[in-house]
Amino acid sequence: MSAFKPVLTQHIHQQDCHTLPFYQSEGGYSALEKVLTMDPEDVIDVVKNSNLRGRGGAGFPAGIKWGFLPKDMVKPTYLINNADESEPGTFKDRLLINKAPHQMLEGMLIAAYAIRCNLAFIYIRGEFYKEAEVLEKVLSEAYAANLLGKNILGSKYDLDVIVHRGAGAYICGEETALIESLEGKRGCPRLKPPFPALEGYLKCPTIVNNVETLSNLPHIINQGAEWFRSIGPEKGPGPKLYCVSGCVNSPGVFEEPMGTSLKKLIYENAGGIKNGNQLKAVLPGGSSSAILTAEEAVVLNMDFDSLMDAKTMLGSAGIIVMDDTVDMVQACLNIARFYAHESCGQCTPCREGTTWLVKMLTRMVQGGGTAGDIKMLYEITDNIGGLIDFSKGSFGKTICPFGEAVAWPVRSFVEKFEAEFINYIPQQETVA
Amino acid sequence: MPFIKIDEKEFEVAKGITVLQAALANGIEIPHYCFHPVLEVVGSCRMCLVQVEGMPKLQASCNTSIGEVALDKKLDGKYDMVVNTQTDAVKQERKNILEFLLLNHPLDCPVCDQAGECYLQDYTFKYGNAHSRFKEEKRVRPSESLGSNIVINQDRCILCSRCVRFTREISGTNELFVQNRGYHSKVSILKDKPLENLMAGNVADICPVGALLNTDYIHKNRFWNLDTIPSVCQDCSAGCNVDVFSQRDEIFRLTPRENHDVNGYFMCDIGRYGFHRFEEIERVNQPLVRNGKSFDVIDWAEAIQKTADLIEQSNGKTAGIVSPFHTNESNFLLGLMINGMLGMLPAIQAEEITYPSGFRISADRSPNQRGMNNICGGLAEDLSSEIKTQAIRGLYILDDGVDRELDDAWKEILAKMDFLIVQSYAMTDLAKLAHIVLPGLAPYEREGTITNDQDRIQWLRPSLSIKAESKPDWEILMLVNNALNKKAENFTGLDDVIIKMGEQFPNYSGITLFKIATQGIALNGKKM
Amino acid sequence: MKSKAQPKSGFSFADSERVERILSQYPDKKSATLPLLHLAQSQEGYISSSVIDTIADLADCHPSVVMDCVSFYTMLYTKPQGRHTIQVCQTLSCSLNGADSMVDHVRDKYEIEPGGTTADDRFTLMKVECLGSCGTAPVVQVNNDYHEGLSLEEFDQLLESLE
Repeated sequence: MSAFKPVLTQHIHQQDCHTLPFYQSEGGYSALEKVLTMDPEDVIDVVKNSNLRGRGGAGFPAGIKWGFLPKDMVKPTYLINNADESEPGTFKDRLLINKAPHQMLEGMLIAAYAIRCNLAFIYIRGEFYKEAEVLEKVLSEAYAANLLGKNILGSKYDLDVIVHRGAGAYICGEETALIESLEGKRGCPRLKPPFPALEGYLKCPTIVNNVETLSNLPHIINQGAEWFRSIGPEKGPGPKLYCVSGCVNSPGVFEEPMGTSLKKLIYENAGGIKNGNQLKAVLPGGSSSAILTAEEAVVLNMDFDSLMDAKTMLGSAGIIVMDDTVDMVQACLNIARFYAHESCGQCTPCREGTTWLVKMLTRMVQGGGTAGDIKMLYEITDNIGGLIDFSKGSFGKTICPFGEAVAWPVRSFVEKFEAEFINYIPQQETVA
Repeated sequence: MPFIKIDEKEFEVAKGITVLQAALANGIEIPHYCFHPVLEVVGSCRMCLVQVEGMPKLQASCNTSIGEVALDKKLDGKYDMVVNTQTDAVKQERKNILEFLLLNHPLDCPVCDQAGECYLQDYTFKYGNAHSRFKEEKRVRPSESLGSNIVINQDRCILCSRCVRFTREISGTNELFVQNRGYHSKVSILKDKPLENLMAGNVADICPVGALLNTDYIHKNRFWNLDTIPSVCQDCSAGCNVDVFSQRDEIFRLTPRENHDVNGYFMCDIGRYGFHRFEEIERVNQPLVRNGKSFDVIDWAEAIQKTADLIEQSNGKTAGIVSPFHTNESNFLLGLMINGMLGMLPAIQAEEITYPSGFRISADRSPNQRGMNNICGGLAEDLSSEIKTQAIRGLYILDDGVDRELDDAWKEILAKMDFLIVQSYAMTDLAKLAHIVLPGLAPYEREGTITNDQDRIQWLRPSLSIKAESKPDWEILMLVNNALNKKAENFTGLDDVIIKMGEQFPNYSGITLFKIATQGIALNGKKM
Repeated sequence: MKSKAQPKSGFSFADSERVERILSQYPDKKSATLPLLHLAQSQEGYISSSVIDTIADLADCHPSVVMDCVSFYTMLYTKPQGRHTIQVCQTLSCSLNGADSMVDHVRDKYEIEPGGTTADDRFTLMKVECLGSCGTAPVVQVNNDYHEGLSLEEFDQLLESLE
């Protein structure tokens, strides 16, 4: 097997890589030119054949998602580029926006053309102020070059793109919350059905795709679905951006084939554990994924199915590495606090349960642990998000997957590092 | 039509309705908070989760609609859907949700006005845990005033958002919103835009717990002490159905009663708080006869005889004045008794208000103008000229206790009369001019039928007892009529009057109070 | 209902052309709510009740609906802030890389709690959740700018440099 060469990030170290002249000099927008001569349905077929699965967290096949759009389009269709990167441990989309924004925009153009959309949005998290400025510049470059606007490259195809800034809410990364937010409302996820492909933005058919997902499209069009499928595992192939952070020597975003071993990513790409410490635990797919012990982590490959088999998930591929100095109860509290802060508050279990967890864990770290606390941590997490067993499905206790996103990591911390939690319970309590 | 099974019950349901609707319509309880039949489904309380066969997750029954499935996909060969509301998982989930909802709840049922009619109490009693497992500090927040009549107790609020959706979807006034997010969410108003609209009181009714309270009723009584009488609001001609709550001859509150042909689930605040108007009224409790500038008290037999004498002596020159505030039966009997010229007291007009949901406060603020017009054909339009033409000498006025500014035309008429007989429960301007005052009943004491402006006949039922020597208005009229005409019928009750009414007005035939029941009968479709 | 002809609020947008541009690009006016709020906050420093009224008028909705939205998002302030906002990320990767000591440092040196503003209004300290830059932890956002991989000394210098 020949060595993998980065695809999405191949040019990020070059000067002016974010500009249109640079991108065009590297063959940029040739995929768009090709697509504009194709039937939109054929574009969807190519993407379906590529098996490209969403890079935002859920891993849903992009082509199949597009296929859910109604066939007789009476209403306008909208495309939303989900750049609300907020999953703790994840910082890949920001890199793509800063260093390869035209690649992403070309991806948007391809997707928009395929789904017959004439108005697309980039929903970017509000804190990414500089990145929003970058995108505004990129759009004006593209408009000036007739890559956006009316009659794009003489094809009679029109597309406008709007950069829309969020305002500080993790939950807006969930696609229906994002749509609500775009509509000028609080970002509360919607009940499904209806799914956005049928009723999304302004009750019109809407497709929401992640920055990285869209950035893959020009390459799939240029090099073909078969090429894409040849990278990594069959069921979820392609190049993948892995974010490694936490207790490592060289944190960063690393592009490797889907299915790269976690060991390689931590010890080779990220330079191993900081300060010569030992690996203790890994959150492989952002803070919403179930935690892995060091033993579990070093034998796993980073792809959708391998991680699901290990009862965790690839998620957004935000790998948070913890070494043997990390207090797992404190880390667990940190994560619980994040979710309590970010819960939208509409569903009872999530609104009440996340803060219950924080209150209980805070009491424990302050020395007030009691004998029943461990059992209660299991029960509360189960009651917010169901069991950590993907094969059985979740219990659907909340409208959106946020409930599961807090339950799984917290529960797995307790399950896999129970001794540390017990240590926080004073002696007289444990014998009682 | 889809054929479904919920627990062990089988039934057909309309295509597209939800599992929750199907269950409720068929007498199966699925506990729920955020769902309300006329509000947008939000599925956020998670209390109504059920198990649907073939689906791995529990489903929010409020957002699971029932369709028809292909023949080969039918469950057990016949069902389009099979739902279980009593599995261990469902029962456990209800316990879990209730536990979450009660974490920060003050558990102050002993002093809560919702006690006894609280879904947090009822569901906890039926489905919840007996003990709390919560060892942490509770969130404590102050109660806040949302408007002049509504207070929110934030600690009891379960954030079902019914009230917020009400102001957005039903009243369209938008005052309420959810402030902050997550654990810090609370129902709020903008300081300069409080909850001040004429439908505001409904938010307390639709609140499933003791969070939203009508200041008018706070700490006034306990739900279980109150007698509930289904009746009809008397403050406009829409005729909203209401429940009147009283104890020991005192009304404590009115709440809207569901009637999809009239008011849906709601009522306006004019009607809701209207009963207070009658609390401090100077009542006429005994028959009175004029003596110079004042009145003497007389007994009923004498009052009836004097009245009959005056009418008889006028030799057919007594006109009857009916009222859009009185029941059909009273207006009808006055017409029957006079058998000549009839006029009416002016109706009370105000602004007509229609809300985005279609809920309506009629411009006609009298409850029975339609019924009065139906029953009393040929009401004089120009009363003063008609009185002149017919040389009328006396009036028998079915006064409604409403203090009106009598205009000059009326004053002129009254001044010219030889006598005035006023049947009234209050010392109104009209009663003050009377020669004989016959004490009838006040609203909430009266019984009878009224017809709303959509031609729906409804049953007005009494909540308060008859005061002192006053008598039901229809009975007074019958007694006078009997004194005038020995052959006149003796009615033993309201139904007798309604039968008689039906003989003259075919639209009202075949009607009894029993048939009207709590939902009323539509008269339209028939020719008047 | 408020009359549009007579905005009673004391706020108006300085860049009305930009407002028009924002409003015109969305298929419905209400979608312009967040961009208008950002614009208003960059002008006023926070979202006052008159900002709410003005935007409600422009977005064609009730002010309470705008407030419902405003109160949901952490970046929209309903009270005046210091001249600078110091937002220290405290989520896991930053916490593992020393973010907690940075908050402690400000607390000790400037005697303000998170959420508080220095007496001279120079800055407001905030603990925030994940800023999406975990690879360069710890991260501090000062106003619109990210400062990544800061040591405590660099952070201190950064604070000192604010005017």
